[in-house]
Amino acid sequence: METLRQILAPDFLLRNSVYTSVLIGFACPLVGVFLVLRRLVFMGVALPQISSTGIVLTLTAPAWFGFHVAGGHGLAFAGALVFSLGAILVLALLERRGHGLPEGRLGSAYVVAAALSILLLSQNRYAELGWLDLLKGEVIAISNFDLGLTAGMLAVVLVVLGLFHKELLLVSFDRTMAITLGKRVLIWDGLLYMLIGLTVSLAVLSVGPLIAFGFLLIPALTAHRFARNIRQFMVFASLIGGTAAFGGFWLAYQWDLPVGPTDVVLLGVVATVAWPLGKLFSKGSNGKRSS
Amino acid sequence: MNDALIMLNGLAIGYGGQPVLAGISLTIARASFTAILGANGSGKSTLLKTLLGLQPPLAGQIKITGAPVFGYVPQTLQFDSLYPLTGFNVALMGTYGRIGIARRVPAAERTFTQECLHATAANEFAHQRFSELSGGQKQRILIARALAAKPDVLVLDEPTAGVDAAATHALLEFISQIHQDRQLTVLLVTHDLPLVRKHAQQVIWLHEGQIYQGQAAELLTPARMAEIFEMELS
Repeated sequence: METLRQILAPDFLLRNSVYTSVLIGFACPLVGVFLVLRRLVFMGVALPQISSTGIVLTLTAPAWFGFHVAGGHGLAFAGALVFSLGAILVLALLERRGHGLPEGRLGSAYVVAAALSILLLSQNRYAELGWLDLLKGEVIAISNFDLGLTAGMLAVVLVVLGLFHKELLLVSFDRTMAITLGKRVLIWDGLLYMLIGLTVSLAVLSVGPLIAFGFLLIPALTAHRFARNIRQFMVFASLIGGTAAFGGFWLAYQWDLPVGPTDVVLLGVVATVAWPLGKLFSKGSNGKRSS
Repeated sequence: MNDALIMLNGLAIGYGGQPVLAGISLTIARASFTAILGANGSGKSTLLKTLLGLQPPLAGQIKITGAPVFGYVPQTLQFDSLYPLTGFNVALMGTYGRIGIARRVPAAERTFTQECLHATAANEFAHQRFSELSGGQKQRILIARALAAKPDVLVLDEPTAGVDAAATHALLEFISQIHQDRQLTVLLVTHDLPLVRKHAQQVIWLHEGQIYQGQAAELLTPARMAEIFEMELS
């Protein structure tokens, strides 16, 4: 409990890290719900990795011309965003056209992006200066600016999903119906992909690709077992993500573990415990309906 | 024809530049009950999708009088069971075309959706998960959703696929009833000849790249059908 008191104290040295983790824990599952519903789970794996390649590339490129960029968070964010949005748009377009094997495309994109990141880092002498920590998910040095950016991202996600919930749901659930009702499906798809791209970019920049992937998918997959409607699905997923982010930070601080991997393992434990509970819940609700 | 709602003129339909059907010229009258018949792969669903604007025609023209609202009832098999939606949630989507972007669904639209569910006798199971309903129950929800759109044209793509005989009979009786009561134009894609004989006024029959259009009572006589099939045999 002493550790908890320390973490919650207003003058806690790593308070920005706690707040950022929790904000990402709340935000990522909200867009992750749509990745799960649209059966784009593999995109949730590939996208954070491609985004991190964007970060590495934009941080490395200046060195090819003899410049060293100190800090470079703005540049990194731009790289992450451009790569995320570009990848999601290209992959979604190929998915829509139905060419080839989607899993094969996403798997290839993931592994090539991961290998490219390692290659670029290995060729850059400044790479050890915090970048590897960033890509491993060491949520330690978070500035006030980064915290503000993450809070802004959560606000954008909440506002967009709150305002356009029915349009995004209709276009995802029944595209044909949406067209016959006069909805511009490409615009709504584009908005959803931009939201996913923005969330993934900021999450990768703050906590790294592994943790971003974990928060995108595990809370949504866990919440799906208990949700009776879409609203509950999103609320449960976000709460699981936010709570696990805080719990993970607490455990990591208590036992001196890396925060990101602790978060993901904790999410895995929650998902494992939820599996039999979900079956019981499903049986219970079926029984209630049939009675 | 003065009451023509949809007119097709030299239409060619298909995918990727490859025509499935060409030279389609026909008229669908307002408030008519038209069945589109044909074997698998004959182009029924492609014709329907082209009429609904879901895919562009390869050639020719589609002229639609006014701006009718389409109430589309797709095949139930296309829906993903992952979505935690109740029957009511699905039916409510029919109202989304009238509600402005970023606006909440007003209480009046919810009430209207309940009325549509009641009209299709789907209110009993509308609170259950859509994915857990039977084929017939899903069809009733989807028809309620189409009605919730306040359609001028009700378009049904094989609504009796995967539905048992009793439910099929009840569904078609219901569709005939609302066709008469609300003066709806009905476009029904089906394989079921007895149902078409009983309910449809007009038939569009797609057979081996040929299109036959006429009154159901004329086109579906044994003599006319034998003529069509003999043409194929010869």
